[in-house]
Amino acid sequence: MLLPLLLRPSLCGVQASVLLPGCVRTLHSQAGHFLRRRLPARLVAQSRGRKWRPQQDEWQRRNKTVLTYIAAAGVGMIGLSYAAVPLYRLYCQAAGLGGTAVAGHDTEQVATMTPVKERVIKVTFNADTHASMQWNFRPQQTEIFVVPGETALAFYRAKNPTDKPIIGISTYNVVPFEAGQYFNKIQCFCFEEQRLNPHEEVDMPVFFYIDPEFDEDPRMARVETITLSYTFFEAKEGQKLPLPGYSYN
Amino acid sequence: MSTAMNFGSKTFKPRPPDKGSFPLDHFGECKAFKETFMKCLRDNRFDNSKCRLQSKDYLECRMDHQLMAKEPLEKLGFKDLLDPPPSQADKDSKP
Repeated sequence: MLLPLLLRPSLCGVQASVLLPGCVRTLHSQAGHFLRRRLPARLVAQSRGRKWRPQQDEWQRRNKTVLTYIAAAGVGMIGLSYAAVPLYRLYCQAAGLGGTAVAGHDTEQVATMTPVKERVIKVTFNADTHASMQWNFRPQQTEIFVVPGETALAFYRAKNPTDKPIIGISTYNVVPFEAGQYFNKIQCFCFEEQRLNPHEEVDMPVFFYIDPEFDEDPRMARVETITLSYTFFEAKEGQKLPLPGYSYN
Repeated sequence: MSTAMNFGSKTFKPRPPDKGSFPLDHFGECKAFKETFMKCLRDNRFDNSKCRLQSKDYLECRMDHQLMAKEPLEKLGFKDLLDPPPSQADKDSKP
């Protein structure tokens, strides 16, 4: 764009004698034009009126605000994802989802709870042993009728028919799944190694209660039978407990 | 039981008992109390509410023979079996 401007003066110079007044006028206009282009934008803006600069400033400020908000939202999302873990756990406890313990289940409740006498629940007992476990393990009663809020006692019997001491360890399961969170054991014989000498037979008690809130849970309205199932495994030094359902013969 | 290979989120999580594990009664010291309790259950068609006295006796036997940590019986849910009849009026007035 500047090139035709540069060429024009030389052109003017050749035909100086004839076109001198016109050339000078052209030069003057082009110089003015050239100078005007080189002016900084600030002065140009000033020449366009007083409204343009504050408007641009406002746009810049607005942009900055929007960017700040977006950045804050991004940081907020990251923080929320970290906070979601304990919050979800709290929510699960409050809503009782996923089989987590119902909030408020503590030992003090046993002393103050009142039995809900109208709701009778049948608790059936099941006893299993792992395939390689040689104890005879069975419940001493097939069923018992309890009400929520009342502590109950039940017995299993285990016998070691072999000639060597066997150490067993047990775990339990409660069916139906949702009722399991209301089934509280005060004391039992699970999760600890129990040793039976050769040809020894013992009674194993389970002392439990069903939480009184069981009666108020709408999901439990149709539940009338709860099954408590114990499984005994053999515990030996240095041997890993085999998974249920597999035999290692 | 738990042999199905379902890896869903709902798995049963066994909880340890509140007061731990009963030590084994190797010498059968409380066997008599247990027999009374079982007989009571059989006679009452396995209704636990009717045999609470016998279960209380069994647990007391365990506590006496160091087969169970000593606990006040209210904490084991036997509060209603402990109220002596003459002072029942006093207990009723308590909050």
